[in-house]
Amino acid sequence: MNPEFQRNLWLEAAPRRAAWAILTLGLIYLAVGMLAHGDTDRMISALGTAGGAVFFLCALVWGSRAAGQSVLTEIAERTWDFQRLSALSPWAMTWGKLAGATSLAWICGLTGLVFVGLRALTQDGDPWAMLFLPAAALFFQTLSLSLALIGVRKARAEGRAARAGGVLGGLALAIVLLLGVASSSGFQRGAGLGGLGALIGARGEVLWWGQAYAAGPFRALATLAFAAWALICAWRLMRLELQMRNTPLIWPLFLVFVATFMGGFAFLQGGWALSLVTGALAVALCAYAAAFSEPADRVRLRQFAAAAIRLDLVRAGPLTPATLAPTLLAAVLVAASFAAGGDNLFGRAPQAAALIAFLLRDLGIIALFRFGPRPQRGDFGAIVALAVLYAVGGSLGAAFAQGLGAALFAPLPNAPWTSFASGLGQALIAWALAIRRIGAPEKTG
Amino acid sequence: MTAVIEVEEVSYDYPAARALFGVSFTVEAGVVLALVGPNGAGKSTLMRCIAALDAPTEGRVRVAGLDVAEDPRGVHRVIGYLPDFFGLYEELTVRRALTYAARSRGVAPAATAQAVARAAGRVDLTDRLDQRAGELSRGLRQRLAIAQTIVHDPKVLILDEPAAGLDPAARRSLSQLILALAAEGMTIMVSSHILAELEDYSTSMLMIQDGRVAGGGVVAAGGGTRDGTRVAVVFAETPADLDGRLAALDVTIERRDGETVVLACDGEDDALLARLIGAGLKVKSFSPARRTLEDAYLSEVRPGARS
Repeated sequence: MNPEFQRNLWLEAAPRRAAWAILTLGLIYLAVGMLAHGDTDRMISALGTAGGAVFFLCALVWGSRAAGQSVLTEIAERTWDFQRLSALSPWAMTWGKLAGATSLAWICGLTGLVFVGLRALTQDGDPWAMLFLPAAALFFQTLSLSLALIGVRKARAEGRAARAGGVLGGLALAIVLLLGVASSSGFQRGAGLGGLGALIGARGEVLWWGQAYAAGPFRALATLAFAAWALICAWRLMRLELQMRNTPLIWPLFLVFVATFMGGFAFLQGGWALSLVTGALAVALCAYAAAFSEPADRVRLRQFAAAAIRLDLVRAGPLTPATLAPTLLAAVLVAASFAAGGDNLFGRAPQAAALIAFLLRDLGIIALFRFGPRPQRGDFGAIVALAVLYAVGGSLGAAFAQGLGAALFAPLPNAPWTSFASGLGQALIAWALAIRRIGAPEKTG
Repeated sequence: MTAVIEVEEVSYDYPAARALFGVSFTVEAGVVLALVGPNGAGKSTLMRCIAALDAPTEGRVRVAGLDVAEDPRGVHRVIGYLPDFFGLYEELTVRRALTYAARSRGVAPAATAQAVARAAGRVDLTDRLDQRAGELSRGLRQRLAIAQTIVHDPKVLILDEPAAGLDPAARRSLSQLILALAAEGMTIMVSSHILAELEDYSTSMLMIQDGRVAGGGVVAAGGGTRDGTRVAVVFAETPADLDGRLAALDVTIERRDGETVVLACDGEDDALLARLIGAGLKVKSFSPARRTLEDAYLSEVRPGARS
C-alpha cells in the first residue's frame, strides 16, 4: 500500500472514528426517514435531499478543507521537509494525500450519494448527478490541494509560513472567478438564453460548438474533465515541491483546453471570430491567476532570462514564467479573431486587442509589487494598485473627457484603439519599473 | 578514501540577500564532519542544499555520486536529514511513525518490521514502540526523530543542531549514537554553534562564516590529539610570581583555564617537568595539552590566537 495513503488512513479513518461518523449519519438519516410518516415516496425524496446535503458538506466542504490541510498541517507541524525527503514518487505522494486525507469525508459523503442515487433511479432525479457530484468533489478537493501547494511555494519564496487562511481565501477567489467566467456575457451569449441555467441546473440543452448536448451529461463530463486537469495540476506542483523539474508543455495544453471549452459556448452566436475572442478572454483570466500563483522568485526569473538569452531551451523551459504562455496564447487568439473577421464583430475584437494591452500592463504592475522589498505584501499591494487604476483612474478620465478619458484606463468598446494605445504605453512603463526591480542585486551582508 | 559529499562553488540567494558565496569542499566516506560557525553563517542553508531540499542558485552538489539537481529523489534515498526544528506525527505510535518512515524511504514491505526494530534499538526506543509520539519527552522525541532519519540506513546523515535543548544525559546518549553510526561506516555531518557539543565525536571540521568557507576548508578536528608541544599543569600552591619564575625557565604561559595553566615550550615533557620541580614549583598535575575543537576553530578563525 502507498505509505502516504496508509499514514493518512491511520490518522483520518481510524475504525473508531469512522464508526462514530457512520453512527451519527445513520441517526440523521433515520430521523429524516421518520419525518415521512411511512410514505415511501416522501421518504425517498427527503432522504435524497438529506443525502445531497450530506454529500455537499462532507465530500465538498470537509473534503476540500482536508485535502488542503494535508499539506498545510505538515508545514505547521514541521514535518513537510521529512516528507519531501522521502523516496515516494510525486504521483504516489499526491494521490496518497488526496485519497487518504479525505478518506473519512468520502466515506460519509458516499452515504449521502447512495440516497441521491436512490432518488434519481426511482423518482425524477438526474442520474448523471451520480457522476457530477463525485467529479465536483474531486475537483474542489484537488483544487484545494493545489492551492495549498501553491501557498507553500509562495510562502517559502517570501520567507514566511503558508497559512490555511490564504489557501481557503484562494479557494474562495477561485470559485468567484469560475462563477465570474460562467456568468460573463460571452459565455451566456454562446450558451443561449438558458445556457448558464441549463449548465448549472443540468436542465435542457447546452449549445457548444454549434451542437446541442443534454445539460446533465455535459455538466458531469465537463466537471470530470476539469477535475482531471486539477489532478494534473496538483501532481505537477508536487513534483516541484519534491525538487523535480516540469516540462513547460502541460500548462499550454491546459490553456488550449480552456480556450476550446469556453470558445465553444460563443460559436453559435458569433462563429469562429467570437469563439476566439471568448477563448482569449478565458486564457487572459488564466494569466492573472498564474501571475498571483507563482512564487515571487527573482533568482529564478534571472536564471530564465540568462538561459533564454543563451537560447538554452532545456534550462530555460522549466524556468519559464507561467504568465508567458497565456499572454502569448491570448494575443494569438485575438490576432486569429481579426483574421476570422472579428474587426466587424461589433468592435469586440478591437476591444479584445485593447484587453491584451491592459493584460500586459496589469502583469507588469503585479510583477512590480510582488517583487518589491516586502513580497509578503505584494499580492495585496498589486490588487489595490489595479483597483485604483481601474476605478479611480477610470473615474478621473471620465470626468475630464467622458468616454475617451475612461478608455485611457480600461479596455472600453467605445474607443478600443485609444484603450489599446494607452494600455501598451502603461505596460511599457510598468514593465520597465518591474524589470529594474527584478534585476536589482541581492544584499551581500 | 572516496568523496561522499562534493560541493563545488555553491551560491544560494534568498529573495532579499545572498546566503552562500561560492562554497566548495569535499567530505570523505566515514568522516564525522562538524559544521561550525556563528548563527546566521549559512550552515542550515548549506545543509538543505546538500539534502536536495533547496536548489543552489549556482554551483553543483553531489552526494554519493548523485547530482542533487539532476536526481534529487535519488539523493533523498541515500540521505538522512534532521533539521534544527523538526516535527513528529504526534498521533502515531513510535512503531507506526518508524514504519511510515521506512516505507516512504523505500524499505521493502517484507524488510520493514526488521528495519523498524533495528532503528528503535539503535536509539533505545524498543520498549516504547507502542507509545504515541506526542507522549514522549523531549529527549525521547529527539531519539525518535533520529530513528526516523536512519531507519533506511542512509549513506549520509546530516544533523542540524541535533543537541539543541537536550539535557546532559540526552546529549551524552546522542554522542554515543553518532559514534556508533560512524563506526558502522556512515558519513555524518553535524552542525552546531556550540563547539563543546561536537567535541566528542567529530573527526573533521568545516567552518562557515558569512556564507563563505573560513579557515582551510575541511580540516582535522581537535579530537583529543596532542596540541603541539604544550602541556597542561596544575600547581599545588600557585606562587604570586609564577609568570616571572616560568619566564626565568624560558617557559611561557599560553593560557589559563581555571587553575590549569597551559605552558608552551620547545623541549621534551619530562625535561620540562624536571625544570619546574627543580625551580621549587609544586606540581600537582602535569599532562600533555589536548587540542580541542575550539582550539581548532579559533586557530582557523584567528590564526596565531592559540598557535
